[in-house]
Amino acid sequence: MDKFFSMKHFFLPFFIACVQLAAAQNYLTCLNIPDSLKQNANAIVRWDQTDIDIHSQRNMDIRKKRVVTVLNETGMAAIDAYEPYDKRTHVRSIEATVYDAFGNEIKKIKKKDFRDQCILDGVTLFSDNRVVYLDYIPTQYPFTIVYECEVQTSNTAQIPRWRPMGHYFVSVEKSLLQVTCPQELGLKKQEHNFSNFNIKKIVEKDTQLSYEASGLLAQKEEYFSVNYNKIFPWALLGLEKFNLEGVDGTAKTWKEFGKWYAESLLSDTEELPDATIAKVKTLVGAESDPIKKAKIIYNYVQQKSRYVSIQVGIGGFKPMLAKDVDRLGYGDCKALTNYTKALLGAVGVPSYHTVLYGDHDKIDMESEFISVQGNHMILCVPSDTEYYWLECTSQDVPFGYQANFTDDRKVLVIKPEGGEIVKTQNYRDESNTQFCNGTYKLTTDGTFSAKIQMDSEGSQYGPKYHLEHRRPNEQEAYYKAFLSHINNLKISKMTFSNDKESARFTEKLDLDAIQYATITGNKMLFPINAFNRYDGNIKRIRNRKTDFEIQRGSYDKDEVIVELPTGFTVESLPENVQYDSKFGQYKTEILKKDESTLIYKRTFLLKKGYYQHNEYEAFRLYMEQIAKNDNAKIILNKI
Amino acid sequence: MNKAIFLFIFIGFYQLHAQKLELGKVSIKELQEKVCPTDTSAAAAILFTKAKTVYIYEKQGFYLNHIYEYRIKIYKKEGLKWANFKMPYRIGYESIRDDALNFSEAITYNLVNNEIAKTKLKNEGSFKRNVNKYWDEAGITMPNVNVGSVIEFRYIIKSDNMVKYPVFNFQYDIPVKYAEYKTEIPEFFVYNPIFSGFQEVDTQAKVELGYQNYDDKNNQGLHMSYRQVNSVHKLENVPALKQEQYLDNIENYRISVDYELEKTRFPEVPEKIFTQTWEDVARVIYKDKDFGQQLGKKDYFLSDLRLVLKNNDSTEASKAKAVFKFVQNKMNWDGTYGYLAEKGVEKAYHENSGNVAEINFILVSMLNYAGLNANPVLLSTIDHGIPVYPNRTVFNYVVAAADVDGKTVLFDATNKYTAPGILRLSTLNWVGRLIRGDQSSIEINLAPSTASKVSNNVMAVLDATGKVTAKVRRQHSDYLALQFREKYGNLNAQAYQDDLAVHFEVAAIEGYAVENKLTDFSKPIVETFNLASDNLVERANDQLLVDPMLFFSTAKNPFQEEKRTLPVYFGFPKHQKYNIFIDVPQGYKIESVPKAVTIATPENVMLFSYKVLAQENKLQILASLENNASVVSADFYEAMKEFYNKAIEKQNEKIILKKL
Repeated sequence: MDKFFSMKHFFLPFFIACVQLAAAQNYLTCLNIPDSLKQNANAIVRWDQTDIDIHSQRNMDIRKKRVVTVLNETGMAAIDAYEPYDKRTHVRSIEATVYDAFGNEIKKIKKKDFRDQCILDGVTLFSDNRVVYLDYIPTQYPFTIVYECEVQTSNTAQIPRWRPMGHYFVSVEKSLLQVTCPQELGLKKQEHNFSNFNIKKIVEKDTQLSYEASGLLAQKEEYFSVNYNKIFPWALLGLEKFNLEGVDGTAKTWKEFGKWYAESLLSDTEELPDATIAKVKTLVGAESDPIKKAKIIYNYVQQKSRYVSIQVGIGGFKPMLAKDVDRLGYGDCKALTNYTKALLGAVGVPSYHTVLYGDHDKIDMESEFISVQGNHMILCVPSDTEYYWLECTSQDVPFGYQANFTDDRKVLVIKPEGGEIVKTQNYRDESNTQFCNGTYKLTTDGTFSAKIQMDSEGSQYGPKYHLEHRRPNEQEAYYKAFLSHINNLKISKMTFSNDKESARFTEKLDLDAIQYATITGNKMLFPINAFNRYDGNIKRIRNRKTDFEIQRGSYDKDEVIVELPTGFTVESLPENVQYDSKFGQYKTEILKKDESTLIYKRTFLLKKGYYQHNEYEAFRLYMEQIAKNDNAKIILNKI
Repeated sequence: MNKAIFLFIFIGFYQLHAQKLELGKVSIKELQEKVCPTDTSAAAAILFTKAKTVYIYEKQGFYLNHIYEYRIKIYKKEGLKWANFKMPYRIGYESIRDDALNFSEAITYNLVNNEIAKTKLKNEGSFKRNVNKYWDEAGITMPNVNVGSVIEFRYIIKSDNMVKYPVFNFQYDIPVKYAEYKTEIPEFFVYNPIFSGFQEVDTQAKVELGYQNYDDKNNQGLHMSYRQVNSVHKLENVPALKQEQYLDNIENYRISVDYELEKTRFPEVPEKIFTQTWEDVARVIYKDKDFGQQLGKKDYFLSDLRLVLKNNDSTEASKAKAVFKFVQNKMNWDGTYGYLAEKGVEKAYHENSGNVAEINFILVSMLNYAGLNANPVLLSTIDHGIPVYPNRTVFNYVVAAADVDGKTVLFDATNKYTAPGILRLSTLNWVGRLIRGDQSSIEINLAPSTASKVSNNVMAVLDATGKVTAKVRRQHSDYLALQFREKYGNLNAQAYQDDLAVHFEVAAIEGYAVENKLTDFSKPIVETFNLASDNLVERANDQLLVDPMLFFSTAKNPFQEEKRTLPVYFGFPKHQKYNIFIDVPQGYKIESVPKAVTIATPENVMLFSYKVLAQENKLQILASLENNASVVSADFYEAMKEFYNKAIEKQNEKIILKKL
C-alpha cells in the first residue's frame, strides 16, 4: 500500500511535465501569436512555468521555464533571466536557447556565458549577495527565448511570490505555478486580484497548489497609477514551519511569529558595556517622563552613529550586536534600531523592534498572512496614549518624524508577548502645510524684489529640512528649480531655521529678478502669484484603465503683499476664484489695500484619496484649472 | 643672499608641515576645527593626500608599490560618507600578476574631554569584493566617526604594471588642503607625467642615486645601484570640484596626474619605445594584430557586398550609403567599447554582433572594397575623457572615415539610428586620429561643422475669445534627428504625443503625423500636428495681447549659474527657425507689433533674429535662434546668459490687437 502510494506520487508530476513540455514546443515560433496579445506589447510571455518543490523545512527547489517572444528592444526586460544567490541559495543550472521568428534555433547560452556579479544597491557598502543573469545581444527582432533554471535553497521562509504579470507592456499567453509541499509544513497562500483576470486554480490541497493564468493582455503603465499590488494578480506563498537563513521557525499567528523572531533573531543582542549604561543614565539624569528620556537617547544615537549597510554574513535579519554598534558607531537599520532599544532599556524605557516596508509608497505588511515580510526596521516607543516611531538610520530627522517613508501603513511590532500588526501615524492633509508670507515690489522697468518666509510642516517638512546643510550652489540651484517660472532669479539672502521639536522648517529669502514683468508699449504684465505656482501639466490619458491615488494630502496658504510700480494704474486684475471638488479646495483672492498695494491670498487643500480610473479626467481638469489660475496676470497701464 | 632667503623659506615651509603631514600626528587643533577655513560650506575636507610610487626589485624583476596616505576631517553630518572609502584595483592582466591592495594604519581620531582618543580599524571594517574580470575592489568603513572626527588610513597597491600608474588626484569633491605625489623612478624607465585640470601643479624633479638589496635564486644577498629620478608634485588648498550644467565630462577638469610609460632602457638591451607622438601611437596601434590585420580581411563579406552594390548607381555617395546601411542593419553592437577586435571580424560578421572595433572594421573593409578610400579613426568617448596626450590608452573607440566626393565623411555603424556624417553623441569629443594603411596618421576634428536644424512652420488662427489653433509642420535634421530617433524611435506613438502635449502645455496633440521617422536616417524627420490653447493671449478691455511666438516662446534662460568655472559643452551647433503666420480675428485690428531686432554674442557664437510683420489682418513672425558652437570657454558664459535674457525679453513683448 505504502509502495503503491509513493509510486503514484512520483508518477503524476512526471506525467504532467511531459505533457507540458510538448505544449511548450508550440510557443517557439512567432507565427501563431494571437493579435490580442500583440496589442500594446513589447514582448509576449508565451509560457511561464514555476515549479516549487518544498522537500522539507530546510530544502526547497525552484525550477523555472520561461518562453518569451521579444518584439523590440524595450521588451528585453520581460525575459527576466536574473537569479540572485548567496550562501544558502544555489543556482544549480541555468541556460537559455534563442529561436528566430520561425522557431529555428539561433543560439544556445550555457551557464558559463551568463554574467555573475555582486549585488550592490547604491547604499550598501559590501554584500555577500550575488546574481547570475543573462546578457544577450539580440541580432534580430522578433525572437523567442527559452530560459530555464533550477535553484535550490534552504530559505523556505521566503518562497518567491507568483506574479504572472511582471511587467507593463508585456502580455502573457500562459503562466503556471505548481507547488508541492509535505503536509506537516503547513503550506498557505494568499491570492490578490485574481478575479479580474483569467486565472484558474487547478489544484488546491494542503500538499499541492497549482494555478494557471492564460491570455493576460499587455497593460499600459499609466501616470499616477496605484501600486502594482493593488491592481494586478499576485499570490503570496508561505509555510507555517519554515527556515530563515539557517534558523527554523514555526508561526500560525503574528503573536507566535513575533515571539519566534524575538527569540531566534533578537535575543542576546542588546547587551551594552557598563560605561555606556552609566553614560546614558547620567545623560537622562532625573528625567522621569519616558518620552522625554527617549528624546535624549535618540539624540545621543543620532550624534554618535551613522548608517552603513553591510549585508555580509548573517545577512538581512539578525542585527549586529548593540555592544558592537556602541564600539564602532555604525550599523544598518536593524543594528541602529536594536542599539537604540538597548540604550532605552538601560534607562528604563520600553520599546519594540518594528518590521515594515520603508518606502515613499505606502506599502502595508500583509496583515492576514503570517510570514517574513518587510524591508526595513524602526523602533516603536509606547507612551500612555500613543506610539512614537523612531527612524534610527537618520542623523538629523526629528524624534518621531516619519512622513514620506514609514507613515500610515501596517507594520509588525515585536512586543515581549509576541508580534502585533499596528498602523503607523497618518499625516492628515491639513497638517502637511506650507505657509508663505511676504512682500514683493515691482519697479517701473519690470524688476521684481521680494522678501518672503515659508514655513513647512508635516509631509512638506521632510523634503526641505536638508536644504540647510546643502552647499550654497546646491541651495541656489534648488530655488532656481523651485521658482523656475521666475527668470533671472537672484537670491541675495537665504536663512533657514529648523525647529526639530515641532518639525517645522522655516526659509527666509530675499530675492530679485529683472524682467519679471513684461513691458509692451505702455502696458506692464506680470503673474500675481509669484511664489507658489502649480505648473504640473498632468497628462491626458484616453481610456484610462487603472485607478489612481493621492497618497498624501497637503495644505498651502500664501499671503503676499504686492507693491505696484509708481506711475502705473491697474488696467485689469485676475478674478477671485474658488474651485472646490472631491480632490481639493482652491481659493484665490486679491484685495486692494491702497492705490499701489495689493494683497494676494491663495489657499489650496489637496485631499488624500483613492480614486477610480474614470475620475482621472475630472482630476486632470481640476488641476489644469488651478495651473491656469496660478498663472493669471495683472495688466497695468502707464499713466 | 638669495640662497639664504631660499633656505629660510624652505625651512619655514618644512616646519609648517612637519608636524602635520605624517600619519599618526593628528593635532588637537585639527580636531577642534569647526569649519573648513577655505570653504565654510564643506561637509568634509582632505587635510592631506600623499602618495609615493617606488620600485622594488625581486628575483624576477621590478614591481611597484604605490603608497597612498589620507587624513580626512569631517565637518558636517553630510560628510560622514567620507568615513567609508572604496578603491578598485586591476586584476586579470594577460601576462603579469594581479594587483594587490591592502589598507593599514586606519585610525579614527576624536576629541574626548579635550584629549585625543584613537579608535583603530579592525578586520570587521575591511572588505574586498570582485567587480568583474578586470577589477576587484577593497574598502573600509571607519569606526566611531562623528562630526568633528579626523580619520587617517594608508593603502598600498602592489603592482607589476609599469605601463600605467593609477591616476593621482589632487582634487576631490571636497576641498583638499595639501596634496602631494612623489615618484622614484630608476633610470631604466622613462615616463610622461600627464596633467589635467585648470591649475598648474608645482613640480620638482632631480636625479639621485637609488639602490636595491635583494636575494638571487640561491638566496644570495645582492646589491644594485643606479641613478633614479625623484619627482614631487604638490598643490595646496585645492578647491572642491563642483558639477556644472552643460558639461562633457567633469573628470576632464579634475586636477590630476597620470604617469604613462614612454620607454625602457635596460643595460645591454636596446631601448624599447612605448609611445611618443600621435604618429607613434597610431603606428603602434595599427601594428596590433587585432587592428591592422583585421582590416586586411575581406573574403568573409565578398558575396554579400556584391549583392549590396548590384543595383547601385556607383556614385561614391550612394555606394557609401548602401554599404553603411548594410553593415548598420546587419551588425548588432554588444555594448563593449575598444579599438581592438575581440573575437575577430569574421566571427563577428557571422554572428551578426560584435564590439565597436569589429563592426566599424567590417565597415572600413567593405567601403574600401567598394572602391572608396576608407580608414579607421581612433577616438575617445566623452565618458572616457579628452585625449590630451599621445598614448594608446587615451582611445577607446574607433569609427570609419571615407572620402566621398572629395570630402572626408565619418561613419559609425554600431548605432541603429546614425547616418553618414552623423556619429553617436557620446563620440563628439574633441579630435580623433585617422590611420591610413601605410601607418601614417592625421588628426580629425570630431565637432560637427554644420548646424543641426529644427524648423517650425506654423499656420495659426486666433479667435476673438483669445483661443489659438495652429497647424505645425516641423523638421528635425542631423543630430537633432538622431536625438529624436534615439529618444522616440521605439516609443509608443501615444506615449510620445502625451509627452509632446506636456511640452507644449496643451491638453492633447491632434492630427499627428510623422514622416521619415525610421526610414532614411540621413534625411530630416517631418512632423505635422495641431495645437490649441487659450493661454497664449491676455485680454485687457478692448485689447488682445498676443505672445508672438505662441507655443514656441523661449520661457527659460538655459544658463542659470551665477559663476561658471568650466567650459560649456553643447556637442553640436544648433539652429532653431520659426516661421509663424497668425490670422487676426474679425473685428480686431493690429495696433502695435514688437520692433525687429538682431541680438548676438561676441563672435556671433549665438545669434537671435526676430521680425514681426503685419499686413491687414495677418501677422508673420520670422525668428531664428542660432548656436554656432560645440563648446565654448567658461568666460563666455556671462555673454550667453545675457544674450538669452535679451532674447527672452524680446519674445515676451506682445502684439496688441484692438477691437474695432
